[in-house]
Amino acid sequence: MKKLLKLTTLAIALAAIAIRGQAQDTVKVGVLHSLSGTMAISETSLRDMLLFAFDQINAAGGIKVGDKMYKIEPVVVDGASNWPLFAEKAKELLEQDHVAVVFGCWTSVSRKSVLPVFEKDDGLLFYPVQFEGEEQSENVVYTAEAVNQQAIPAVDYLLAQGVKKFYLLGTDYVYPRTTNLILYKYLLAHGVSPEDIGGGFDKDDSGKVISAGKYVPFGYTDFQQIVADIKQFAAGGDACVINTINGDSNVPFFKEIVAAGLTPDECPIVSFSLAEDELRSIPTKNLVGELGCWSYFMSLKTPENKDFLAKWNAWLQTEDYPGVVKEHRVVDSPMELSYDGVYLWKEAVEKAGSFDVDAVRKVLDSGDISFDGPSGKITVQPNQYTTKNVYIGTTLANGQFEIIKQFPQVVGEPWMLKKLDTELAAQGK
Amino acid sequence: MWRKSTKIELIAVTAAAVIIIIILPCLNAYTAAGSWLHISDFSINVYGKYLCYAMLAISVDLLWGYTGLLSLGQALFFSLGGYMMGMYLMRMIGSLGQYHEPIPDFLVFLGWSNLPYVWKPFSSFAFAMLMAVLLPGLLSGIFGYLAFRSRIRGVYFSILTQALTYAACLLFFRNSLLMGGNNGFTDFKFILGHNLDSSATQRGLYICSGVALLLVYLFCKWLTTTKFGKIQRAIRDSENRVLFSGYSTANFKLFVFVLAALIASLGGLLYVPQVGIINPSEMEPARSLEAVMWVAVGGRGTLVGPILGAFLVNALKSWATRAYPDLWLLFLGGMFILVTLFMPKGVIGLPAQLAALKKKFIARKASLAKTVESNPPPAAEKTLVKPE
Amino acid sequence: MKLVSKPLFWWLGVLLCLKVDAAPAPSSGVEGTNVVRQELAQAILSNGAEQQELLDKLADTGSTLASDVLDAWTMQEVYLYVAPDGSSVPVMLESQQDAEGRSRAIRIDDGQFLKDATGKELRFGESDLNPASTDMRLRRAIQHALDMLALSDPDPDARYAAVDKLGNSQNESYILLLQGRLAKEKNAQVKKGIKEAIATLQLGDTNPAVQMAAVKQLATLNSIGSLDNLNQLAANTNNSPQLAKAIQSAIGSINDHIWWVNFYGTIFHGISLGSVLLLVALGLAITFGLMGIINMAHGEMIAVGAYTTYVIQNIFGSGFGFNITLPFSIMGKPIAFGLNLPGLNATGWFYQSYFLFAIPLSFLTAALVGLLLERTIIQFLYRRPLESLLATWGVSLALQQIFRMVFGANNVQVNSPNWLLGHYTVDDVSFDYNRIFVIGFVILIVIGTWLLLAKTRLGLLIRAVMQNRSMASCMGVRTTRVNMLTFAFGSGLAGLAGAFLSQIGNVGPSMGQTYIVDSFMTVVVGGVGNIIGTVYSALGIGTADQVLQQLTGSPVTGKIVVLVCIILFLQWKPSGLFTIRSRSLD
Repeated sequence: MKKLLKLTTLAIALAAIAIRGQAQDTVKVGVLHSLSGTMAISETSLRDMLLFAFDQINAAGGIKVGDKMYKIEPVVVDGASNWPLFAEKAKELLEQDHVAVVFGCWTSVSRKSVLPVFEKDDGLLFYPVQFEGEEQSENVVYTAEAVNQQAIPAVDYLLAQGVKKFYLLGTDYVYPRTTNLILYKYLLAHGVSPEDIGGGFDKDDSGKVISAGKYVPFGYTDFQQIVADIKQFAAGGDACVINTINGDSNVPFFKEIVAAGLTPDECPIVSFSLAEDELRSIPTKNLVGELGCWSYFMSLKTPENKDFLAKWNAWLQTEDYPGVVKEHRVVDSPMELSYDGVYLWKEAVEKAGSFDVDAVRKVLDSGDISFDGPSGKITVQPNQYTTKNVYIGTTLANGQFEIIKQFPQVVGEPWMLKKLDTELAAQGK
Repeated sequence: MWRKSTKIELIAVTAAAVIIIIILPCLNAYTAAGSWLHISDFSINVYGKYLCYAMLAISVDLLWGYTGLLSLGQALFFSLGGYMMGMYLMRMIGSLGQYHEPIPDFLVFLGWSNLPYVWKPFSSFAFAMLMAVLLPGLLSGIFGYLAFRSRIRGVYFSILTQALTYAACLLFFRNSLLMGGNNGFTDFKFILGHNLDSSATQRGLYICSGVALLLVYLFCKWLTTTKFGKIQRAIRDSENRVLFSGYSTANFKLFVFVLAALIASLGGLLYVPQVGIINPSEMEPARSLEAVMWVAVGGRGTLVGPILGAFLVNALKSWATRAYPDLWLLFLGGMFILVTLFMPKGVIGLPAQLAALKKKFIARKASLAKTVESNPPPAAEKTLVKPE
Repeated sequence: MKLVSKPLFWWLGVLLCLKVDAAPAPSSGVEGTNVVRQELAQAILSNGAEQQELLDKLADTGSTLASDVLDAWTMQEVYLYVAPDGSSVPVMLESQQDAEGRSRAIRIDDGQFLKDATGKELRFGESDLNPASTDMRLRRAIQHALDMLALSDPDPDARYAAVDKLGNSQNESYILLLQGRLAKEKNAQVKKGIKEAIATLQLGDTNPAVQMAAVKQLATLNSIGSLDNLNQLAANTNNSPQLAKAIQSAIGSINDHIWWVNFYGTIFHGISLGSVLLLVALGLAITFGLMGIINMAHGEMIAVGAYTTYVIQNIFGSGFGFNITLPFSIMGKPIAFGLNLPGLNATGWFYQSYFLFAIPLSFLTAALVGLLLERTIIQFLYRRPLESLLATWGVSLALQQIFRMVFGANNVQVNSPNWLLGHYTVDDVSFDYNRIFVIGFVILIVIGTWLLLAKTRLGLLIRAVMQNRSMASCMGVRTTRVNMLTFAFGSGLAGLAGAFLSQIGNVGPSMGQTYIVDSFMTVVVGGVGNIIGTVYSALGIGTADQVLQQLTGSPVTGKIVVLVCIILFLQWKPSGLFTIRSRSLD
């Protein structure tokens, strides 16, 4: 008798929950980031920003499709910095949870490991982190900065300031290798001679340069010799360092630079993987004047940005998702681009009138979808890259950037390697 | 001749084999999606992955549980097998990559315009399979020969294997090795003419993994019953006595080491087409340690233990990274500590452990009762009884 | 007024004087200073050629006020106040803030506080004013002016840097200026710099005799910075053959000098890397060598030490707090707990000394954590070395996650105190202060450990337990106590390593994983069970790594070769460099 009673109450409770669940229309949205492991340092912030964006949209009513309002139901999974696990989680999101869209990935290898899954299951991924631009898939919308939206404007700025020698330094993986190769070709095309490009070259059997610059493995900590090398390279003046070191290794690198007494005025360092988030762990007091180039800086003084930051801080205080740290938060470009991605997708869905990937993709590729975000206007191009503003900033002692130059509405261009090869061939180099 | 436990094991293994190799794929292929009997493609894929991990676990156990050699570098051989298969699969992409060039994508963005010599023979499946046997075999052979010849044992051996896998990991991360660097190999399209995306191919790979695991299990089971197996266990228990008895333990250990490397390599080469990516982080020391944990949790010194451990721990990981993404490492760490301290025989040994505990408890109760019996209360009672 | 209050007043007076800060206070205005102020204000407001002219004028004044203001300008600390009439007034903010965080603005043109129409002093918060903007070109021009001013700066480093830049400017008008400075200069290093600068500038002279003399001078001085200029000159086709020869020989001699600089530099780098390895491996050598416990959580002990340094740094600063919310709830409320420590808000020398407090505290915290670990887990694993590996690996995973939960998944910032920044240069070979400090400290630690093991009673007990645990126990040694203390000591050493590593590397939840493999290698190569072996192996591995890196040019190849060499070395000496001979077979 007792057992029967227990079972009936359980059944009623379940039914109640089911009924309650049906009363609200929701759409499942996937969040695929590393919440543990080496990449957790960077990716947990993206998860936090996405949860914020979802909460904002839900508070405003949700997404309007047809005549119903759908609330976003996030499905957060942890890739654990393990690339096969990323692929498994992507499959889980698309095949088990049937999510309408996935926001995720940071490293190129994680993106490349999930790409076949998205192409097979025809899913849609919004990718927000600066990358090398040698990919174009109809299943990915690249809100990220392409090489010509980050590396090339920075180099242009340096050339205009009279810098003549460039030392290329990066972590050994596809993004720095490709970016440095692109920059090498770009510098050659702009009249810089190979002797003024430092870090070393790798040549293939025919003598063609296939890699420029010095590369260190992930997690490398001993920069004594490299910094001594840079010091000698910069001894003659007019030199700079192009730094594509990723993540952790930046900290020992900059600590060594500070200890060696290499000031930004003697030899400025422009870093492409350092944003406000990473600056929190670097001795910025001693590094005032180094350069960064992103499509968003937290110190942007536009009213949209001020409003965005105020709402973000308010949300941080009131939310209670486990694992979200409340203190000392900053917002950087990948976070802002994740946020933009959510709103771009929302607009595309509302315009298409459906969550179906084909319909949404068609609308996105029409070139009409744009969003006035905290960094300015961002528009999706027909090739699924995005047009956005680009800013160059110098580091301040408090870990923020002061914006010193703005390139408005730069069109994202993939396949820079081929473009530069053709240009160099035309110049006869 | 057949002990009770062996009979149970035999029945369990046969049942599991039938379910895994025959029933599950049929359910996947012949039932409609949405019915409760249906096993989704996703699940088949995940189970296939677990089967490959089980092979890695058996290779660790063969060395640790049976020979007493804790190798912290088995994931290296697993990855090498995977890389050889990966090279073949990369060649099979042909011109369908991102750049639509006949050479693999990563070579294009590294600046190469022609295929390097090292890559040319890998368009042949047979060659790739040969390399999947040769490369791990040679590496383990040389390393094992050097290590066992100088009587490196115990902890030193483990640390040396860790150094080996760490050095290999650093080497493979280098893009100049032309093995994909940090990106590794991915975006596979065809294997032996079959499209890798189709569920039929995935099912086929799953069945192959199951069959391979079964064959490995039977082979190892047979090996442990031979004289060789006995010597193996003797080496684990006391290597010195085996030496004094006249056996060249170095040769036995070398043979087992190479065999374990080959088993791991087999697991690796079946793993890669199912997972779709191989990259040097599979060679990191942490991955080998994970494999050791599967064996510890499952129960070392048995062959079913590692398989069970691999399934259990990976299923737990898949669940925990979804349910408690911020806490699952605590669960994992806590589980390892508990297993090491309180369940030295792992999950397989748990029934026996519980039975032993129960026996101990009953025995203690019995002996307590006996002590009460044999020590009657003091003579005060006698004075009360007075014959009247 | 009693006798007590007199010294009290005196002390108060001293403190008040000390509290006066270096911000430019409203000055009474000497005639020259006023002119300088006007020029400064004009320079900030103007641009282009006029600005350049003004900056040049300012550079000639030799005024320290100009130095201060120009410096502030480059640090974005000069602001533009837009007056009601539309004109811009350049100002600087004083460093004292009122209760609302606002400070008074000091006009640059006359040094008075900015007042509004009624004469009341205006107050601004930092974000209320726009800084006077600078682009890279302007910063260079300002820096140039600063360099000229720095020629007479009291700090020799600043003079040297200024001289260096003037030399590379290829502006021959500086030659006279530098020659004038040479006569007045007393510091040998700066004198050499001036000679180099003069010679570099003279390379561009039209007179070949002057050029020849300059080239020879550069060769004698072994001036690395002039290599580019020499190469440029060498490419000039109408050099006389003697000049061409002189240039080639100069380049050759400078390249030789560079080779020697790299040689000594590599040796120093090798020793410093070796000392870091030794620091990390010493604790492990003790726990592993003396106790047979493989502690895979050793890396996390290092992280404990590093995080302790971070916490101490924050306590000396603005305070430290954390908050953890678990995804479980009891009776509807989620389980959360946190801690909040107020900060001391220390400044100046007191703040910079935080590191000295952090060192012993890192040792203690790590030792306590090690003690806890030993009592709860390790003590069951003494006879099972392989199991200790697994259990401690589990502990390592759990600890990493705990760090993530408490401190966040990000790396945290640990700043070096400024007495550890900087470097000491001898003949172009630079020795960083923090590396010298690490080397010095490691020597102290090694000596201390040796003294502990060899000369104290505890050391005797430790060695006894290590050699034969059961016999020691029979002799009355309390082995459990000795175990506890040894493990705690080993962990404490790891904590010390963490404190130092926080100065040269990053501090994050998985920082321990970077060092664990290397420390194992060092201990195994050195021979388990003794300290001297670890010292030799750490120095050997460090030096080998740096030398290979220098030879191959690639950071990774060196490491791989070192690892392979270790594997081969262990074939030759399976138990490491120095082994403890014993009669047992294993």
